[in-house]
Formats: sequence, C-alpha cells, structure tokens
Amino acid sequence: MTAILAITRAGPLTSVQDLGRFGMLGNGISAAGAMDRAGYLAAGEAVDAPVGAIEITRAGLDLVLEQGSCRVGFAGGDFILRRNGEPLAWPGTTRLSSGDRLTITPGAAGNYGYLRFDAQIDVPMLLGSLATSSRAQLGGFSGRALAAGDRIRLKSAQPERPMTACHPGAGPIRVIWGLHADLFAAEVRNRFVTSPFTISAQLDRMGVRLGAPPNMFASSANLSLVSDAIVPGDIQILGDGTPIVLMRDHQPTGGYPRIATVISADFDRFAQLRPGTAVAFRPVTVEHAHQLLRSSLK
Amino acid sequence: MAPQATDMALASPTLIPLGDSALLVRFGNDLSEAANFAAIALARRLIADPLPGVVEVSPNLVSVLLRYDPMRTSFAELTGEVRLRTYSMGGAASASGSVARHRIAITFGGEAGPDLDAVAASLGLSAADFIKAHNAVPLRVLSTGFSPGFLYCGFHPAALVVSRRSDVRASVPAGSVLFAAGQTAIAATAIPTGWHLIGHTKLRNFNPHANPPTQVRAGDEVVFEAAP
Repeated sequence: MTAILAITRAGPLTSVQDLGRFGMLGNGISAAGAMDRAGYLAAGEAVDAPVGAIEITRAGLDLVLEQGSCRVGFAGGDFILRRNGEPLAWPGTTRLSSGDRLTITPGAAGNYGYLRFDAQIDVPMLLGSLATSSRAQLGGFSGRALAAGDRIRLKSAQPERPMTACHPGAGPIRVIWGLHADLFAAEVRNRFVTSPFTISAQLDRMGVRLGAPPNMFASSANLSLVSDAIVPGDIQILGDGTPIVLMRDHQPTGGYPRIATVISADFDRFAQLRPGTAVAFRPVTVEHAHQLLRSSLK
Repeated sequence: MAPQATDMALASPTLIPLGDSALLVRFGNDLSEAANFAAIALARRLIADPLPGVVEVSPNLVSVLLRYDPMRTSFAELTGEVRLRTYSMGGAASASGSVARHRIAITFGGEAGPDLDAVAASLGLSAADFIKAHNAVPLRVLSTGFSPGFLYCGFHPAALVVSRRSDVRASVPAGSVLFAAGQTAIAATAIPTGWHLIGHTKLRNFNPHANPPTQVRAGDEVVFEAAP
C-alpha cells in the first residue's frame, strides 16, 4: 500500500531536496539541492533511500504517517526526534507504521536535517531533479516550502547511487581567493583572513549574511563590475560592506565583488553554523582544496 | 596579416578559479562586443567538443564558466586545455556555427511600458521615432542566466544609450521589455529591476516542463517588431 505522510507542523523553508539540478545555469536556474550534502547522504545510506529528502530547518517538523509503512533515516545537524513521544538517537533510523508520529525539534547545533525514506518522495522530476529552488520557485512540492496540511506520497523506487560524503573538517572555514580578490587592497585581504566574523540571523538557502568587524570593507565599496557567474560558497561584499556567503539557491549571476569562495570540503560544515557562531576564514590553494576532497572521500 | 589588438586580447583571456570546482575564462573587465563574442564563441565550442572532466559550460556577458569534477581533472590541466582551444580559435570568434534568428513582437508603451515616453524624450525623440530606431537593426543575445529565461540583447547604437533608473521597481511581470545601458532585456519571470520598462511581449522564454527550458540562447539574433 502507498505510504502517505501528512505534515502537521513545518518550520519555515522546509523543502524537498536532492543533490541538485545541474546544467541549468545558462537557463537562469542555479542548482539548489541539499544545504548539507553529507547529512543528506548519511540519512539515505541507512535506509537505501531512493533520490530525495525532506530538508528540515532549525524549527523542526512534525508529521504523521497516515497510511502504509516505511523506514526513515535521519541525519544532518543535531535535532531531537521523537517517535510517538519516545526520543530516538540522532542520526538514526526507524520504522513508521500507519498512525505513527514523528516530532522533530532543534537540538544543540545545526540548521539543516534530512529525512529520507526507503521509498521515493512522489513529486515530479523536473529538469532531472526533485530539488526545490526557493529562488526560481520551481521543483519539489509545487515549487514551494512544505507547510502544515501538505500530504506527501511515497512510491517504490530504486535506491540512489551510493556516494561518499565529504568528511567534515574542523577549525577555520577554508576559502579560495575569489573572482575579484585582486580588487581588494592587500590590507583588506589580510584582515579578511585574520579577523573573526559572526553568522548573522539573516540566513536562508540563498545566502548567509555575516557580521563583520566595523569598516572592514569600507574602502572597497562602489566597484563597478560586469555581472558574472556565481558559484555556491562565493563570498560577496555588498555596497555597504556587508559580506554574504552565497548558498545553494544563489542567484546565477551577480555584480557585487567577491573576495573568496568557501571550498567544497567545508561547505556543509559552514551551512550548519547557527546565528551567533564565530567564524574565521583561511585561504588555501585550489590544489590543496582538491587534496582535501580526495582524502576526505577515501 | 598581423592580428588586431582585439584578437590578441581574445587569444589570452584571464583564467580564474571560482572555488575548487569551477573555472572562469574571462575575456575582459568591461562589457565590449569583442569580449562578448569571444565568450559565446568559446562556450559554443566547448559545448560542441567537451573537455574531459567538464560537467557544465555556461557563457556570461564577458566570460565562460566551466564547472568541472575535481576527481577527473585538475585546474592546471584544464587551464592548459582551455588556452589551447582559445589560441586555435584566435580572431575567428565571430564565425562559430549556426546562429538562430528570433522575431520578437513588442507592445510598446501604455500600462505595460510606463517609461517609454520619458526614455524617448531623454533621447530627443518622439515615442514613434524611438520605437522605429529601437527596432531598426537586429540585435544579438549577449547573455542569459540572470534569472530563468532572461535575455540581455545588444548593442543599440550610441544614440540610444540611456542609464538605469535611479530607483528599483520591486517587481515587473513576466514578458516585461526593459531598456538601459545600450541594451534591451526581456524578463521571462517576474523580477525586480532598475531598468526602464518600455513595453511587453508575449514571448515566454522559459518553460520548466520542456528540456531545455529556454529556446533563445546566448549568441542568437533577435529582430524586434512592434506588435500589431
């Protein structure tokens, strides 16, 4: 029998995600996809999940399995998950039968968690992906965030091809100097990699605003640039000096100067940093970033 | 014959890493016809004849983005290959493959084009003469990718160049025809914009249920005509 999930409470920006909708930049669509890929992969590995996940945000999610049964894997960040009121260890797996309730509330750390099932979330495959783009308002569940009252069917499907997740590192977030790094004075670049920043409360799937030491980028304002391609992890500096780290639902192109780009191996870890957390950046070479990827994938 | 200065510039673009999984091939710091031509020509060439390890090629106004798989190629290998391709392309950037031509009917002015009269007046033209001048010659699609199905078309002659508006409209509807900076742009979805809103078209260059979802590509030719 088809399993049906009913969402009874959803934190803002809860959405259906997978690894992303690639190859569409020229059409004006950035890839979207799981903010924490390692979390997405870990949740799926435990239950041989087909493509797709419910990405939960910091406020959590409540749901009830209205019909059928399924196994669910959960991982990413740190959340408190209860099955019919009984707490289960996060990350982990459990089996749900008709009438069972999951209640997920924030734990000690992290912004994003993933629920994956042993059946496929039945939303249309759009341009090769199930991912919801909050920017283009397409994909996933009618192109929008999940909300209380939504019902999601699960259908049987082949497990997603296994992929190894990047092992999360520790310490400063490593970056590669960015597209416009040469437009920033050497002294500004030096302060960028020696000063503490903080994660602000303004963060979503498109970008994370940072709190910066006063006047750090004041002399860099008013650069007039030709609009150019953006990649996830790009750190752009607005005209008023605010740094924003662009995330998976980034605009495909942009005209603000970009000083650096977060490396792939540290992107997931950065995405999970909560508002108020201190963050420091350290420059590495492209070659070093590739070595980190190779070693972390072993 | 000695290559011209612009050809030399095209043959030696700046190659810049964008993080650890993308490379940007940039043909200039300013938006010029030559840099735009070169970017589109290189992109078309790399799409037709892909480099190993490259997973996406996307042209921008003056650059080409190459997304690559760092497990399959390295930055050094890729930059070497791109330089070889660019050198062999030389100044022949304009002679690259077939170019599609699209006719786009525009309803100028009225409620859907509230800035038409002011734009025409700022250029010392009547609205009718502005429309005639605007549609006089075919333009090229300079770039896509700003938003789903969005088109930048250029370049208009210097006599038709106006700057952006001083304020930004929070949202203009799909089909809006926008004008500034020597270009005409067409929005396929609702967007915020600081460009002048001069008209509206029925063209919707975005259908997420088709693959590819857009029909007009960078480098294509567009011919504007006043809708009957």
